[in-house]
Amino acid sequence: MLRADRLVKRYGGRLALDQFCLQVAAGEIVGLVGSNGAGKTTFVEVVTGLVRPEAGALEVGGIDALSGRLDRALVGAAPQEQALYPPLTVRQHLHLFGALSGMRRAGLKRAVDATLGELGLEGVADRRAGLLSGGQRRRCQTACALVASPPLLMLDEPTVGADPETRRALLQAVTSRATAGAAVVYTTHYLAELEELGATLAVVSSGRVIARGSQAELLSRLPCRLRVSFSGGVPEGARRHGTVVGDDLTFLCSDPAAALARLIADAPGARSIEMQRPTVEDLYSHLAVGYAA
Amino acid sequence: MRLDGCRRTGILMRHNATLLLKEPGPLASRLVMPLVAIAVFAPLDRAALGTRGGPSQAVTGMLVLFSMLGLSVVGTSLLSERMWHTWERLRTTPARPAELLAGKAVPVALVLVVQQAAVIGFGAAVEGFHVANVELLVLALAGWCAALLAMGSALAALVRSQAEFSAAQDIGGFVATSLGGALVPLAEMPAWARHVAPASPGYWAMAALRGAVAGQTGTVLRADGVLVVLAAAAAMVGVSRVRRAPSRSSRM
Repeated sequence: MLRADRLVKRYGGRLALDQFCLQVAAGEIVGLVGSNGAGKTTFVEVVTGLVRPEAGALEVGGIDALSGRLDRALVGAAPQEQALYPPLTVRQHLHLFGALSGMRRAGLKRAVDATLGELGLEGVADRRAGLLSGGQRRRCQTACALVASPPLLMLDEPTVGADPETRRALLQAVTSRATAGAAVVYTTHYLAELEELGATLAVVSSGRVIARGSQAELLSRLPCRLRVSFSGGVPEGARRHGTVVGDDLTFLCSDPAAALARLIADAPGARSIEMQRPTVEDLYSHLAVGYAA
Repeated sequence: MRLDGCRRTGILMRHNATLLLKEPGPLASRLVMPLVAIAVFAPLDRAALGTRGGPSQAVTGMLVLFSMLGLSVVGTSLLSERMWHTWERLRTTPARPAELLAGKAVPVALVLVVQQAAVIGFGAAVEGFHVANVELLVLALAGWCAALLAMGSALAALVRSQAEFSAAQDIGGFVATSLGGALVPLAEMPAWARHVAPASPGYWAMAALRGAVAGQTGTVLRADGVLVVLAAAAAMVGVSRVRRAPSRSSRM
């Protein structure tokens, strides 16, 4: 559904996108993660047509998105900055963005009502955006991107500052749209959300994607953390294996079985063993720091 | 595709008209203030300039003065979109830049037309304001409206905040219209003011309107020509700034 090939974008002397490559299939949710200034928002702005790259290719649904022929109704965008008209109601917002995407009359009304229900906005549908709570504004913002059911969704940190109820509603809406076949590019700093969404990952650093794949695939490359507790302190023979804190010995290993076998050979008598599998947070820290170095 | 563009422009016109009507205060004040000013100044102008010249000065002067202040309607509608970040949001939709600008310009132009029609109508009904050639009046007002729309758009594109816009519009608008002879007839102003007056858009608006009142086609066409050139130049500034509007990523 989305194919970005070696995109380059400069702002003065700063290279915001440096040979940025990314492909997203229909029905896939891609979590775009990276530090501030890594290039995530620039990429979103290139896809949504706000910014033109200096080089590279971009296709949406097989159509060249840089040629001016792309129907922007194919792309639903929810920018990071809140962009709502305070005097307009939630319903008026959805009508506006649905109508601009080509929806009309009964079809538009059905889509507006369905999207209001999907994001729990029925109770505030006729309230002015200026009077909404922060969470309601976030939901309205995303609803404007969803109302026309575009096949590609670009959601730039849609849950920032959102309460748990809003976060839950937004994640459910994103999941159901992907299940219905939409390709979703989801940028966030809340990495736990990506695990909840079952998203594949694209880690961005210095304007390019430095790691791409499913969470399981990327996490399998990281070491596990083992914590072994001993009664009466960590034996001398075991101390060289890792870090000692009180009665606990902690260390990283790629092969837990082999590491434990070596440890037990040097220091039998462990009271308990706890294994922590790497998380998306660990992956990001490992990749981003490693790439920067 | 063209039908889709017309449809989208219509949607945007209705949308911007809704936004204008949601905040009717500024519209109401721009309608009422010139009518009150005409009622107050007309007797003075009649005493100084006679029964024909007096109402003509009062009506055309207040029309130019308060329509210049009506720039705030134009500028505020654009500045609000920047403040609310909704302009960028609209740019991600299928609507093209020309459709976005037309959708914004037409409702604002209608506000200006209603204001001018109200002033002219009140002047005619209450103060005996008389125009020799109505077609020339329409032509004069069309040129002035185009100039106002374009100047308001350019100003909104150049300033950084609502406060800057208000200051520029208040000071610039008052100076431009005063120098044009909107408050005091040009003939009664100091020599230096008469010398610099042609540099003011208000001067050409007053010239076009006076030409229409007197039925002088050549005067109206010449003045309208200047206003159209001014409108084109201002529109180029406004459109180029809108096209180059910095995105969020460029500001990081």
